[in-house]
This record gives sequence, C-alpha cells and structure tokens, in this order.
Amino acid sequence: MANDRTDLMQGTLELLILNTLARESMHGYGIVQRIQENAEDLLKVEDGSLYPALYRMEERGWIKSEWGVSDNNRRAKFYKLTKAGQKQLESQRANWQRISKAVTKILQAT
Amino acid sequence: MKNEIADLFKNFNRKQLVFEVEDELRFHIEMLERKYAQDGMSAAAAKSAALRRFGSLERAMKQCVNIRSRNSLLRRVLKMSLILIGLIGLSLRMLGSDLNIHHIGDILIMIAISGRLLLYVRGLSPSNFLSGTNETCPSIVTETPRDGAKLRGA
Repeated sequence: MANDRTDLMQGTLELLILNTLARESMHGYGIVQRIQENAEDLLKVEDGSLYPALYRMEERGWIKSEWGVSDNNRRAKFYKLTKAGQKQLESQRANWQRISKAVTKILQAT
Repeated sequence: MKNEIADLFKNFNRKQLVFEVEDELRFHIEMLERKYAQDGMSAAAAKSAALRRFGSLERAMKQCVNIRSRNSLLRRVLKMSLILIGLIGLSLRMLGSDLNIHHIGDILIMIAISGRLLLYVRGLSPSNFLSGTNETCPSIVTETPRDGAKLRGA
C-alpha cells in the first residue's frame, strides 16, 4: 500500500473527532487510534495535526477537556462532547451525507 | 465554577499553558513509542518512529498555545470590556458636551482603541508567519491500493 497525501474537505477531521467522541470521552491518542480502527487503516490522521483541531473545537465549545489518568496510570487530558458539539455533529453529519450523495450522483451521471 | 476560574488564570499564565500542552503531546508520543515497542521495535527505533509519525512537536505545540492564548476567556472578557469602554466613551462624547464631560469620553475612546491595539499586537506572533504553518487545514493521509493490492475487507 502506498500513502497518498490527500487534502480532504475542510472540517472533515472535525467531523471524525466529533463522531469518535460521541461514544465516550477519550484522550488524543485514543481518538487517532479509534479513527484508524474504524477506517480500517484507510485513513491516517497526522497525529500532530489532531491537537490544534482539538484546541479549536474546545474554544468553539464543541468539546470539553479534563485531566485524568490513562490506563497506564499516566496523567492525560480527556475530551468529551458538549451539547453544542452534539448539535454540531448532527449538522456536519447531515451536511456530509448531502454532499457525498450529490458528488456520487454527478460521478455516476458522467 | 472553581475549574472555570482556575482555567481563566491558567490561560493567563503562559508558562503553565506551555507546560500543559507539552505534557499532553508528550503523552501521545509516549503511547506511540509504547505501541511500537510492543510491536517488537527496539527502544531507539520505537522512539524515532513515534516522533516521525507525530510530526513536528514544536509546530503542534506552538499552534495549540497560540489558539489557547488568543481565545482565552480572560482575553474575551478584556475584549468585551474594551468595547464597552469605547461605547461609553462615544456616548459621553456625543451627549456630554452640555455637561462639559466630553473630554472624559475622548479619554475612554483612546483607552479602548489603545487596549484593543495592544491585544491585537499581543495576539500576533512573528513565528506564525515565518513557520508558514497552516492551522486550518490539518492533513489526513489516505491509503490507496497500488499494483493490484487489495483493500482489507474488499
């Protein structure tokens, strides 16, 4: 398999993070791992780029962070979805499905 | 409520903020190292692979600290206060001429403009321009099959 760097639509990483946190609160490493597991390794989030996205989302009030203890007894910051984040997830999910449907239709027509 | 007040002052303390961001990012790198070591890599190889996979720690740290310090609660409160001072100054300037207090209005407007400029300048960091980092477009790498390789589950 070869790695192809692809610029996905703006907001894609945010949607993936929101969706991952909808199930349970997680630390950054857990979020990356979960996204890759769910994508069956077809998507790889650049680990370092996750954190600026998390910080922006926290400032927007979509997620909330709290220091806790990880499985290996190390201090770690855990993120969880807020009510605003839940609404944002629903909105972004609907938007993604709409765009995806439209692009698929266009591709099938040509 | 206590946590929110603590956050307010934590964001004001840049050293503390930098420490916390670094601690968080280092945890991620340590977890990667641990994973690679469990996969059979030597300690040195695992460390090197973890750092490579994470990307630039310094760049990520800088971006996170900048985001947090630019948009901290304290900063937002200051911005709102300056807008309020400006509006009061403007009102005094317009309505206070009969009472001869329009000079106070001028002073308040000056304070609001200077304060706003100071906040703006403090929020700018030359390193943001020099490093050419892009905060708005995080990269996602897609893996595509080549030479007939099959996707898992396909």
